[in-house]
Amino acid sequence: MLAVDMAGETVRAMNGSMVAYDGEMTFKRQGMTGGEGLRGALRRRVAGESMTLMEVTGQGTVYFASEATEVTLVELAGDTLLVESDSLLALDGRLQTGVQFIGLRGMGTGQGLATTKVEGQGTVAILSDGPAIALEVAPGTPLCVDPHAYVAHRGQLQQDVVTDVNWRTVLGQGSGESVQFRYQGHGLVYVQPAERGGILEI
Amino acid sequence: MTSTTFNAATLPANDNVNPYAFSVDLNGQWFTQKGKMIAYYGQIRFQALSAGPLDMLVAESFHSPLYAHDWIVAEGQGKLLLADRGFDINSYDLDKGNLTIRAANLLAFEPGLELKQSIIPGFLTLIGTGRFVAASNGPVHFVEPPIRVDPQALLGWADCPSPCHHYDHGYVRGVLGAARMMFGVGGTSGEEHQFDFTGEGTVLIQSSEHVTSSDAMLRELEGQIGMLGVPGLRQLHGTIAQRLAAEQQH
Repeated sequence: MLAVDMAGETVRAMNGSMVAYDGEMTFKRQGMTGGEGLRGALRRRVAGESMTLMEVTGQGTVYFASEATEVTLVELAGDTLLVESDSLLALDGRLQTGVQFIGLRGMGTGQGLATTKVEGQGTVAILSDGPAIALEVAPGTPLCVDPHAYVAHRGQLQQDVVTDVNWRTVLGQGSGESVQFRYQGHGLVYVQPAERGGILEI
Repeated sequence: MTSTTFNAATLPANDNVNPYAFSVDLNGQWFTQKGKMIAYYGQIRFQALSAGPLDMLVAESFHSPLYAHDWIVAEGQGKLLLADRGFDINSYDLDKGNLTIRAANLLAFEPGLELKQSIIPGFLTLIGTGRFVAASNGPVHFVEPPIRVDPQALLGWADCPSPCHHYDHGYVRGVLGAARMMFGVGGTSGEEHQFDFTGEGTVLIQSSEHVTSSDAMLRELEGQIGMLGVPGLRQLHGTIAQRLAAEQQH
């Protein structure tokens, strides 16, 4: 659960995630464009990366939660965080969101072709099944991640898919770890200690 | 909660990262259950047990064709992170010992250990010296026999003889008991059946009765069908047909 102390600022949070508050709060559902402008909304529609956020403004403390999952706070200082819209609980009102096309790597893990991009200065609260583990990627030490355990990543990272699909996989004799994301460059990757079910059993 | 960050050097070596994830300092080979890897640094390959080059290793350490399909070998050098549905993860060291554990809860083990199927369906026995990693729903409790344990809460046991079934006397006694046995009706507390442990050793129980589902039980039953012969198979066929009809009525 996430508690936010507010003194007149604005926070954006997942629709319906408020569980309690004290003080004076106003909740406003964001319109069609979700604060991303008409072009942003169009991109989001095309990408199928739906996200419904509400704007919360007021004085006091507001509590957010979703499905009793763990919350991790990520501080952004002008850099970019890429996160699935399902895993985004709340963010600072000053931060900007958008859609990032990521290509085929999202297929098969039920994540679609696009992901949500958060950038600017402020704090983002992300959700994970079990406490998220932050893993550093530095030049020379690439990191491989199971697509089902991936939560978010930030920094200057190149992402590619490593496949080890061969005739054994087709016969059902595969290693069960045939598809992985590999991150190279400089940044942080967040993983969760649980694997969500994908469309494909790979 | 802001989490600390880890890299290949700061990840613990053969220890827990947090209560729900375990970091293996891989330098050689480890057996791991399929789909429990969440991330890794370094050069690591994952191979099915049927892969040719692994023949020697499998012949030495993996004596369970029934579970061979669920297991793979991680080979190479690096740090390997293991986790299982957000369950508590613990590692245990065996020194020329033996330990039996619920098959679905065993995540990984060193090749110094030998894996064999237990007589109790759904359990695997590890024999030898080495480390293994297991998951449990809630923390693990270690207790000493004599003790009776709910079958669903039982995680495993070490050094003591295999358990036997224990049924409460009231459950089997009298007309009502007979009716319950035959039709499965009547008030039951759901605690008539336990595993009974005696002798010297340690019993491991988890703090919930949530059993991780696995299709290994089905395969185990299928494996035993061979011992029945034609008359037995016919009878089983009839029993299954009856059972199916009853299930479909519900």
